[in-house]
Amino acid sequence: MRPGWLAVWLCVWLTAGCSGPEHEAGFAGLADNVQALDGFEQPAPGDLLVFPDDFGPHPAHRIEWWYLTANLQTEAGEPLGLQWTQFRQSIEPRALDAERPEPSTWPLQAAWMAHAAVSYQGQHWFQERLARGDLGQAGAVAEPFKVWLDHWQMNASDRPDHWQLAVSQGQPGKDNHWAFDLALNNQGQPVAHGDNGFSAKSGSGEGSMYFSLVNLEVTGTVTLAGEQLKVHGKAWFDREWSSQFLKAGQQGWDWFALHLDSGDKLMVFRLREEGGHYQSGTWIPRSGAPVALAPDQLRLEPGDGSGGVPTRWRLQVPAQGVDLELVAPEGDYTNDGLFPYWESPVSVLGSHSGVGYMELTGYGD
Amino acid sequence: MTTFTALLSHYRRHPWQGAALALLMLLATTLWTGIHHLTSEARASLGQSERAVEARHQVQRIDGAVLTVEDFVSLRRQGLCLMPWLEVLPEGESRRVIGVDPLAALCFQRQGDVASFDGQPLRGDPFLDIADAAALPARQSQLFLIVAPNTGVLPEAYRITSFSLAPDTGQLGDSFLLNLDALSVLVLLITGLLLRSVYLLSLSQRRDSFALLNRFGVPVRRVRWHLVAELVCLALLTLIPGILLGQLLANGLAGGFASVMEGLFDSRQFATSGNNWLVPTVVMMALLLLVCAADWLIPDKLRKASVFVIRSGLLALLFIVVGTGGVWLAPNLLWLFVSVALGLAGAGLLMPWCLSALSSRMSRASHQPLRRWWWAEFGVLCRRLALPLVALQLALAMVLAVQALVTTFEATFDHWLGQRLSADYYLEVPTGADAEIAAHWLTQNLPATSGARWHRVLRGQGRIGLDSQSRSVDVFALAPVGSLVTEWDLIEQTEQPWQQLAAGHGVMLNEQLAYRQGLAAGDQIQLELAGQSMSVPVLGIYPDYGRPAGEVLMAGDLLPDDFSVAFESFSISPGSVGIETITEALAGIWQQPALTLRDNRSIRDLANRVFDQTFMLTRAMTLLTLALAAVALLLMGWVFLATRLWYFRLLEVWGLERAAIFLRLLTLALAVSLSAAVLALPVGVGLTWVLVQRINPLAFGWSLPMELYPGFWLELLALALVIGVCIALLMRRQLGRPAVRPSVTGTVTGEER
Repeated sequence: MRPGWLAVWLCVWLTAGCSGPEHEAGFAGLADNVQALDGFEQPAPGDLLVFPDDFGPHPAHRIEWWYLTANLQTEAGEPLGLQWTQFRQSIEPRALDAERPEPSTWPLQAAWMAHAAVSYQGQHWFQERLARGDLGQAGAVAEPFKVWLDHWQMNASDRPDHWQLAVSQGQPGKDNHWAFDLALNNQGQPVAHGDNGFSAKSGSGEGSMYFSLVNLEVTGTVTLAGEQLKVHGKAWFDREWSSQFLKAGQQGWDWFALHLDSGDKLMVFRLREEGGHYQSGTWIPRSGAPVALAPDQLRLEPGDGSGGVPTRWRLQVPAQGVDLELVAPEGDYTNDGLFPYWESPVSVLGSHSGVGYMELTGYGD
Repeated sequence: MTTFTALLSHYRRHPWQGAALALLMLLATTLWTGIHHLTSEARASLGQSERAVEARHQVQRIDGAVLTVEDFVSLRRQGLCLMPWLEVLPEGESRRVIGVDPLAALCFQRQGDVASFDGQPLRGDPFLDIADAAALPARQSQLFLIVAPNTGVLPEAYRITSFSLAPDTGQLGDSFLLNLDALSVLVLLITGLLLRSVYLLSLSQRRDSFALLNRFGVPVRRVRWHLVAELVCLALLTLIPGILLGQLLANGLAGGFASVMEGLFDSRQFATSGNNWLVPTVVMMALLLLVCAADWLIPDKLRKASVFVIRSGLLALLFIVVGTGGVWLAPNLLWLFVSVALGLAGAGLLMPWCLSALSSRMSRASHQPLRRWWWAEFGVLCRRLALPLVALQLALAMVLAVQALVTTFEATFDHWLGQRLSADYYLEVPTGADAEIAAHWLTQNLPATSGARWHRVLRGQGRIGLDSQSRSVDVFALAPVGSLVTEWDLIEQTEQPWQQLAAGHGVMLNEQLAYRQGLAAGDQIQLELAGQSMSVPVLGIYPDYGRPAGEVLMAGDLLPDDFSVAFESFSISPGSVGIETITEALAGIWQQPALTLRDNRSIRDLANRVFDQTFMLTRAMTLLTLALAAVALLLMGWVFLATRLWYFRLLEVWGLERAAIFLRLLTLALAVSLSAAVLALPVGVGLTWVLVQRINPLAFGWSLPMELYPGFWLELLALALVIGVCIALLMRRQLGRPAVRPSVTGTVTGEER
């Protein structure tokens, strides 16, 4: 759900840089009005999710991402956090069944960006990759599920509800090499956020289609500095797409996905804007239907921070008896790519215990 | 009145002296800051450019097929870091554009943004987004896949080869930087001499004030500390504008350097931003304190002893002998630089000593009173203006050496590039293609009447020398040895070297190989090719600048049949046939859809532009140094001669016309400045020799031909005369003013009789 902030930046950048002045839409231009959509489709309340199609790309929409965070443990019981994200950013809209441009023309109708990060023992490994679409270098397919950029890839394995995720960076055997190779087993149904999948991102109605897989069991290996660690744990997978994601004037984004030891799950986000913020979330009980959280049904307050980034938070959902303190481990978890942002695992304390992931954007320069 | 204000009151009485010192410091700081700024920027830019070139290795298919987007995707999907590079020659255009994919380039660790390539906007000069480049109607279009170094293991169907956009200028860049470094040290030396001369002059004129302060009970040590404080104040006042002006100067000159970089690498590399003020400030402050307070650092006893025990002439000769010996024998650059410094110090010491000795002898030998007076006065001038004269001498020597070096560089490289890129085109033989058939076709279809010339180039590896002493060398074989190479200039040669080479009766070596192995033309060498050993004579030594590798040139017929050819190409000047006809025919013969063709003329034009601009910059900097030395001598001469005014007036009292006095003044000033210029000539020639024959071989293994340019000597002598005339003209104005009889006989001021 969250990397919309990055995708919007990427969009502004690509349109300004690669396509010439006629496309120089500024940040605000993305959200001013429906005409600024330039032919892209925009999700609206009432739109429904379609499976398995919605695991695949939505070229008629401007931005989308496949996003996975995992709270893992090594065999020694040490916590290890892991993130993989792949974004698609369209520059020109295209119908799903439209003819693809010829790869030999090096088309730039869409750009792809992938991020991978591992957080372990206070250290943070991060890498970023970019590719243009329609060449075959990067892409996504709904059935059988597959998302890839270069040799980084998430794909369905031969067993139902089982996926593989493989990322490798640097040359094996060299100091700069790190990698992960994970098997993911989905043990739940997709959770639709907001209004049956339409997730509002401001009071004035901009939003996105958004669903998650919140019960992914993970096993595999993570290789760091020549050391291969066997890991297991749980992961959270998001799918989100839109064409007008953020409202002009929104300054940044705080997002949390939590696995509570009680078996319940919780997702909340907050979009910061001048004079306030817009927030929302989903309470996903261990059993029973997910509950969409309206802005006034939760309280999310930043606490102490490090380097200008709040690394302790208080989260309350009174109706669910939730009063949590969310704490990032010691260390710098900035994903230092083209658009730096904070991405770290968190410990959950308070009324419930558990683990989760936190993403914060817009706190730096 | 405090001691400090009492000291400063000197400048109130002699404002021009203070102004002269400040002006010199300002100019010196400006010059040195400018050169330092430029040198550090040049170093950074060259480093950046080399990195850009260094990263360029390309992937090719083993089967010789043209690379496609599918190859790119397949290799990227295997985790290899490579980027597409689409060279397009648009229809109706003479300049190629390069399509790049900034998104793919990100894995090269190039920090920047996705909307540019290497900091260069994608506007077609020459980089474009690859989609835009692919969409252009093109006369020629070829896709290269540039691969990052150490990217991993390639699949079997591919191999890595080098990919160059321009001639490899790595060593030329280093050589240029070395010259810039040497230049900035020399400028610092000259600046120090000038500052010290002005300072000593002002100090000697204040001796009365110091004596008075002593009599009032101010201790000598306190006066010295106040002088240091005064210097620091003066430095602060002049350093800041000097540094600012220096940066302005550097930025002005940097335009030229930026074009050099742009021309060479098709990319804006030169960053003139950044405030590089700390180093110049510290260096100039330290220099000022060192040259002005040098006397205090040497104990009085030692100083007096050295002055009395060692005569400066002997010391100078000792320095020159040791310095010259060191230059001959120096095993590395550090010792070479130390030896050069010793030699220059010797030359600097020797000049005033020589001129003074000459004047004493001529003065004694002369019976004509006015002539005798003239020689005595000449001796006084040479002794008292020794420091600025030495500075001028060194500046002139430097200008002469740099001029010779630069002109030699230009001529040599132009000639060498002409030789090396003598064919108009360079056509790569695809892997697996039969070059023999192509050679046969070329023999049949390029008749002499068409004006076409060509040869086949085979490159590989061999060994030179015997057993454990043998070392690997590049083999550069030609078939046939034709007119594209026989016009090469050789450094050394035996009789009819090209005919002998064509007949397979020997080989030629590049200069660096001959230098390292101590080989000369006519020597017999042992060569091992594909396991076969042969003894062949060295027919000639050819220049091969810009790279360190040793190379053996031979006729293709001399290669054993099983010689492993690593790389094969044809150099072709198509004459009236037209290159398109040839490439179409060869593509057909080799059954290749497209061939890799390089246009040598554009490479040569590019290289020539680079050298022109680089050397223009070097010249500009040396001329500025000369200007500084000239201004200093002018100022010093003016100030110093003013103190001699009283003696010139005596001539008037003795009945000489003012015009006649001026004539003597003019001849004196001319003689002094001309002496500096004449004595600068041998120093300049020596310096030239050191630069081309010693520094380059030691640093890079190749030397440049030693050329002298006597025409430029005349220009320098004329410049010295102009300086002399200016001094005399300034003095003419002074002659009309009243002069005071010097009351105290000093050793630095003009009271010497």
